[in-house]
Amino acid sequence: MACMIGARCPSGMNVGARVGTAACLSPREGTAIIGDAKGETVAVHQIRSVVRPATLEEAWERRRSEPGASRFLAGGIDLVLYVPPAVSTLIDLSPLGIEAVRQEGADVVIGAMATLTDVLGSPLVGEVAGGFLCDVLRRVASPLQRNVATLGGAAVRAHPWSDVIPALLVLGARLDVFDGRHSTVELSDARARSESPSPLVLAVRLPGASRDGRGAFEKFARTGFDVGVLNCACFAIIEPGLCRTARVAVGGTPSVAQRLPRVEETLVGKTLSASQIALAAQAAADVVDVRDDRRATAEYRRVLTAVGVRRCLENIAGLGTEVKE
Amino acid sequence: MRIHLTVNGAERMWDVAPGDTLLDVLRREGFVGVKKGCGTGDCGACTVLLNGRAVNACLVLAVKAEGHTVVTIEGVAQGGRLHPVQEAFLEAGAVQCGYCTPGMVLSAVSLLSHNPDPSEAEIREAISGNLCRCTGYVKQIAAIERAAARMRESQ
Amino acid sequence: MKKRESRAFAVVGKSERKVDGLGLVTGRPMFVADVDLSDALVIKVLGSPHAHARITSIDTADAERMPGVACVLTHKNTPATRHTTAGQGFPEPSPYDTRMFDTKVRFVGDRVAAVAAETEEMADRALAAIRVEYEELPAVLSIDEARRPGAPIVHDEADATGIYDPSRNVAADVDIDVGDVAVGFAESDLIVETTCETQYAQHTPIETHVVLASLDVDDRLVLRTSTQVPFHVRRIVAQTLGIPIHRIRVIKPRIGGGFGVKQEVLLEDVAGWVTLQTRRPAFFTLSRAEEFTSSRTRHPMRVRVKIGVKKAGLVHAIEMEAVSNTGAYGAHGLTVLANTGSKTLPLYNKAENAHFFGQAVYTNLPVGGAYRGYGATQGYFALETAMDEAAERLGLDPIEFRLRNAIRTGEGSPIFAKLGEGREGVSQTVKSCELERCLEVGAERIGWASLRGKKERRGSWVHGVGMSIMMQGSGIPEVDMGAATLKMNEDGSFNLLVGATDLGTGSDTILAQIAAEVLGVPLAKILVTSSDTDVTPYDVGAYASSTTYVSGMAVQRAAEKVREQILGVAAPMLGVSTERLALRDESVVAEAGSSVTLARVCQRAMYETDQFQIAATASCVPSESPPPFLANFARVAVDTDTGVVKVLHYVAAVDCGVAINPRLAEGQVEGSIVNGIGYALTEEMQFSSRGRVRNPTFFDYKIPGALDIPRIDVVLVDSYEPTGPMGAKSVGEIGINGPIPTMANAIYDAVGVRLRQTPFTPERVLEALRRA
Repeated sequence: MACMIGARCPSGMNVGARVGTAACLSPREGTAIIGDAKGETVAVHQIRSVVRPATLEEAWERRRSEPGASRFLAGGIDLVLYVPPAVSTLIDLSPLGIEAVRQEGADVVIGAMATLTDVLGSPLVGEVAGGFLCDVLRRVASPLQRNVATLGGAAVRAHPWSDVIPALLVLGARLDVFDGRHSTVELSDARARSESPSPLVLAVRLPGASRDGRGAFEKFARTGFDVGVLNCACFAIIEPGLCRTARVAVGGTPSVAQRLPRVEETLVGKTLSASQIALAAQAAADVVDVRDDRRATAEYRRVLTAVGVRRCLENIAGLGTEVKE
Repeated sequence: MRIHLTVNGAERMWDVAPGDTLLDVLRREGFVGVKKGCGTGDCGACTVLLNGRAVNACLVLAVKAEGHTVVTIEGVAQGGRLHPVQEAFLEAGAVQCGYCTPGMVLSAVSLLSHNPDPSEAEIREAISGNLCRCTGYVKQIAAIERAAARMRESQ
Repeated sequence: MKKRESRAFAVVGKSERKVDGLGLVTGRPMFVADVDLSDALVIKVLGSPHAHARITSIDTADAERMPGVACVLTHKNTPATRHTTAGQGFPEPSPYDTRMFDTKVRFVGDRVAAVAAETEEMADRALAAIRVEYEELPAVLSIDEARRPGAPIVHDEADATGIYDPSRNVAADVDIDVGDVAVGFAESDLIVETTCETQYAQHTPIETHVVLASLDVDDRLVLRTSTQVPFHVRRIVAQTLGIPIHRIRVIKPRIGGGFGVKQEVLLEDVAGWVTLQTRRPAFFTLSRAEEFTSSRTRHPMRVRVKIGVKKAGLVHAIEMEAVSNTGAYGAHGLTVLANTGSKTLPLYNKAENAHFFGQAVYTNLPVGGAYRGYGATQGYFALETAMDEAAERLGLDPIEFRLRNAIRTGEGSPIFAKLGEGREGVSQTVKSCELERCLEVGAERIGWASLRGKKERRGSWVHGVGMSIMMQGSGIPEVDMGAATLKMNEDGSFNLLVGATDLGTGSDTILAQIAAEVLGVPLAKILVTSSDTDVTPYDVGAYASSTTYVSGMAVQRAAEKVREQILGVAAPMLGVSTERLALRDESVVAEAGSSVTLARVCQRAMYETDQFQIAATASCVPSESPPPFLANFARVAVDTDTGVVKVLHYVAAVDCGVAINPRLAEGQVEGSIVNGIGYALTEEMQFSSRGRVRNPTFFDYKIPGALDIPRIDVVLVDSYEPTGPMGAKSVGEIGINGPIPTMANAIYDAVGVRLRQTPFTPERVLEALRRA
């Protein structure tokens, strides 16, 4: 989020120059100000209209025609907490009927407007990798927020501390998108795209190939209702004894989760033994890009990376004593 | 913008600014039992039920409530009869300053309407987004257990 | 050993439902903001972006011209009266170092200006249009920086009073001793010394500070405010605004928690001033971020404890040195500092030599204020850590070591007389102390014998148990006053008017229970009105754990006076002398069996014969402050991979005399324990290098939620305080002092490292494990 020159920010920082990302304030603090002050006020004063398009085409056309002044409105949580200064129009996605969870061939397709609560309660999602995504979603925020936040919104917004992103990355999730035409893209590709406006996400697609894998998730947080100071997601498809597919993602570093291909390489084709897992965990700690922030130091995040990856893999291999103190 | 919604069983038609949150609007329209504790969805004092699901009213744009059903704390007791959760809260000593109470009660009501026999872990999870600084949660959890038991008995 | 009236209570000792519970559980409009605010101006404050600066110019012309702006306040157009914001009895033992709006700012978030406008949005726009020029000054951001010779001076104004040494940034200084610790240490066989540091923490009441000011039909200023101290608000606002006390009315409706942060006059002067200038109602509340940065905090402290012990296990000398960071203003600076020693050292009264000294130091950081525990919390961290260490080195069980040294019934401590609330204290003898029983019950409940020293391992988790004991007080002797008025209605009910302040603690309820007990009526027949300066008699307010003991005794006395009046009316009705009459079951009952209902008695006095209003007012100024006692036990698990500490089981065995309402008393202890666990493990205000709070949100200042609490067992041990109403002592604060030392000692039992800095974050714990 940006602080503008001449602004007065609610934490009293004297803003003398444009700051790309305001590391000074947690994104929950409220926005910077120009003329229209918006400290922690509940009403988002600058929103002038909320439109309800009847079709995908209409939604996309509206978005395309005012890229700077408009935003798609999913659950709305992130927009209530922060609206970029130029935005005045919200395009509500609820009329578009993209909230269902369905089976499509081998894939489980989760409508972008499905809430996290809907998703974690879905029997179809529960059949993918033993309900891995459901387990992860249960650890996200609070039930109050899960009842409003959408999976599509979480995938697009990709907060640095996001628990959803690492889970989707290791599941090999893809996104059904629309930008005048329908297409399906890899999650990681979608996030790397820079065109503005980015395509409208219609669904999160869990590939059939992930159905029979096993996933595990570790989140290191200060309290139970908290974002993680670090999180890890691992996924593996194990043919008798050997790891055919391995995916490892670490997030909250404090950057948003990324897969660690060098770690994955140490696992593919190997047995998930304790010693192999230890090697992978060490490799993760070596390669992970961690930094200090107000929640934890880089050094500590490195420690947590090793512990998190090890515990995830032990879990998947059935080795770890699932000890909760 | 004009929104139409049902609040505590009664149909309402309200003029709202597009950027108003449900919390703003509810309090402005007199539902002062819905409390503001932080404005950022971190404390749960503003919890209401939206289509039967507990949500932070401070995080929901009022326009998103168009055509939907909202229940606030004022709508939980029916004609002077307390809901078993409210009764249990009073009995168990789960109300101290009372500021988090409306949100806490609604989260519990929502839980029990979807899960009539919750474990202690499930109760804790259901109220995990409702912060309380007075009680330490001990008697609130006990109250919800008691309410659940009573509601199951009377089925 | 138990001295207790063998008397069955009818209402006292019962866990009655709170008298305000129904409205709270149904969301009735009961809080300050729950009224029609459509006509009220909204006040917003411009906070300082600098930790230390002079305001060299401030231009509000543009702001004043903006649509919807009613007035803009700065140092140029508001009263300059220096006062304290601390809600304490007059004369307040805090420096008068605060102006409503000053020409200098002393911390990031300090008041620069304020706007009153028709809407919040208009107020925000106007704030952004105020042009301020600052001359930035070097800031002091720690105790050590502030005390360095030549350090920048936080309070260099000519008209501040009550500051101990402004040139050295010392707001307060305390130094008392008993015997001679140097000799005492020389005579000791074992010396243990430890220094512990506590962090900036905030109370985070779920309702932030809020006030609605308005003029009544007589043009008197009415302040409807979320406060713990309505009478101090009235007096300090009168002082600050320069208007007579009789032109102000302060009403406290229900409030959403306080824990000490509302023992302060923070917003009422500004709101009152706006209303007086504009004749409009004025609504002023703090955002959550402002509640963190610009209200009040716990005083961070560095406490060094040195104890000298004789081989036989007797503490012979104790020295405690406490240095507190009182932030930019000195409210509560002296008294919190003094309390650090006065509520801790008397516990180990066998020590013939004691020395308590320390300072409260100004810094350019958020302001410390009153916070549950009030210095004792910080003091017990160091003291109970030192005691735990000493026990280990002596080869004694920690419980046994405490038993040998703790104060007992019938004993006193010279500290009581030497150390009061910022002045000399009051000598007293403890008349009720069930510590031994507390320790016995607590140890058994936690499973002490089977867990201590075992270091049970489960995966990477290691378990341990720790304990600590403490005392607090019940009000401030010979300083605090509470008063109560009771008047009778002709249906045998009574109105109870008390100045005492219910923060959610349930004081309205327990005070009504006391009255009901004396008058022989059910709780429902006592109708409580509290905390309205026009209607209720004086009370200091809710702090220093005074309400049950002090206000409760005032209620008991008022009820006893009313009882005498009732008996006087009833005696001729029954033809029996008053000595043979008692109040029971809503009637006056004669020994011989005849009776008359209270309703009949009141009808006679109100309408029929020798008419008068049956009513009485009584006060209580206590001559002592009987301590409640607490024994804490905690079982923790430490994850040696990550440093995470989980509390598994917490036991608090409490002696609070007779618990007027056991469930409410338990609730006080449970809530303060969980608050203390947050203070011990996760809560920490963090600062930038320029003194700005980096985490003024619940998102990054983590307080415990329902997922974080351990199994908590609170046991109210049987006890009786002869000087207390119905045998009661107070209990509001003591619980919060337990978690830090208890968990520190439990962590030591588990993994052999002593933590001396809170919070015990995973990083700190892991670092300590690695260094060990």
